[in-house]
Amino acid sequence: MVADSGTPGDSRSARRLNEPRRALVVTRGVGGAAAPVNVNRLGVERVREEWRVVDRWWTEAPVRRRYFDVVLESGQHTVVYLDEETGGWFTQRA
Amino acid sequence: MVACLSIPVFALRAALRGRPELRRRPVALAPEPGAQPLVGACNAVAEGEGIRAGMRLSEALATCPGLVLVEADEAGAEEAWEALLRRLEDAGFAVEVAREGCVYFETAGLERLAGGLDAALGRALAAVGSEWQPRIGAGTRRFTALAAATVAPPNRILVVDDDESALFLEPLPLDLLALTPDRRRELSDLGIKRLGQLAGLPGGSVADRLGADGAEAWRIVTGVEGGRIDGRPPAEEIVEELEFPEAVGNELTLGKALGALLDRLLARPERGGRAPRRVAVSARLVGGGSWRRALTLREPTAEPERLRLALRPKLAELTAPVLALRLELGELAEGVGTQAELVRPCGSRLRERLSSGLRQARVGVGLDAVCSVVEVAPWSRIPERRAILVPRDD
Repeated sequence: MVADSGTPGDSRSARRLNEPRRALVVTRGVGGAAAPVNVNRLGVERVREEWRVVDRWWTEAPVRRRYFDVVLESGQHTVVYLDEETGGWFTQRA
Repeated sequence: MVACLSIPVFALRAALRGRPELRRRPVALAPEPGAQPLVGACNAVAEGEGIRAGMRLSEALATCPGLVLVEADEAGAEEAWEALLRRLEDAGFAVEVAREGCVYFETAGLERLAGGLDAALGRALAAVGSEWQPRIGAGTRRFTALAAATVAPPNRILVVDDDESALFLEPLPLDLLALTPDRRRELSDLGIKRLGQLAGLPGGSVADRLGADGAEAWRIVTGVEGGRIDGRPPAEEIVEELEFPEAVGNELTLGKALGALLDRLLARPERGGRAPRRVAVSARLVGGGSWRRALTLREPTAEPERLRLALRPKLAELTAPVLALRLELGELAEGVGTQAELVRPCGSRLRERLSSGLRQARVGVGLDAVCSVVEVAPWSRIPERRAILVPRDD
């Protein structure tokens, strides 16, 4: 997967803040829910926290995400999530 | 004394010059091309028919079927305004422009020369000319002068002495203050609709309840504002114009023409090595309209490439083919050193500078460069649903 900064919107329209961006994530073991070991080509030192968000299940665009707050080998904290609807990984400030 | 000369609906008056047949008919400025269909400023006849600036076009035409819509003549209005300012300057006044149609000046220097305050102000009225129907208000403070100019009849002067100032301002509506519609509504909900009511409140409580906007408005009404008038430096500009044998709509050709005008201007001997701080490109359009875009550079520059980069994107905003293209270099600066400030700006002055900075950011980066963060669902568990970025228009 390649990082995607998103599509530019209308030049004068409101846009969402903190949109998720695609991330290149490698996980340990088999299965999407396994913890990430590499995020955007940087190794993961530690997984600090893990949580799930299930929302809007009553709509046509349900949200099922598994978030990981990780510390990378560079010392940077980042939050990635697995979109369980599409199977893609994204980074986002939680 | 501080004087304020006001010409209401200046843009409309400028657009109606040379069309006296429309004076007795309901007239409003047509919506700008590509913008929302809202009517612009309207004349007194149209107001009498129930038309208001900012009304939807369909509603306006339904309210007044005989309403005449005229195209705004941006370049013509700016030219006329500049000519008017120069006439005031030629009459001896150092002017500070608030906006097109509203200007402040001090009378102290001219009162003795002209033979009194009334004579000095009469000189200003005469310099502008009665066809614009200017009105002048004078007071010891800028705000009093503005309020007086707002209530003075056309071609008349209204002087408010310092001891009458509070009494004069008391019954006037809050519209004179540059408040946001939300803030005005909030004040109205609290039962505060007149300047006197606002002035009667304790300053601390106003700041506590209404924030910085309200505190600033209270300071202005109660007379704690800074009243100094900064006369603009003498205007100096050099201009080049290019007429096309036939109308040109091709951006590439227009870009080449702009480049040629820029090269001609930079080669003009009267520039004397000085760099412009302000540049403006204007055009005469097919069908009689005009178009103009002016921009103030962060630092004066005479580098053709930088000027070209700043001006070229403006050509994409042209609304019709062009008959003549004109380029102006203004506020020619000798040096490019920066002057440190002794006193930090505050209040309306600070806000003015901030607005100017935001305008420059928009010019450089695009209309979306300046946004506000608006919380729409801060409780949401989905991070991207909590707030949105909304482009600012101020």
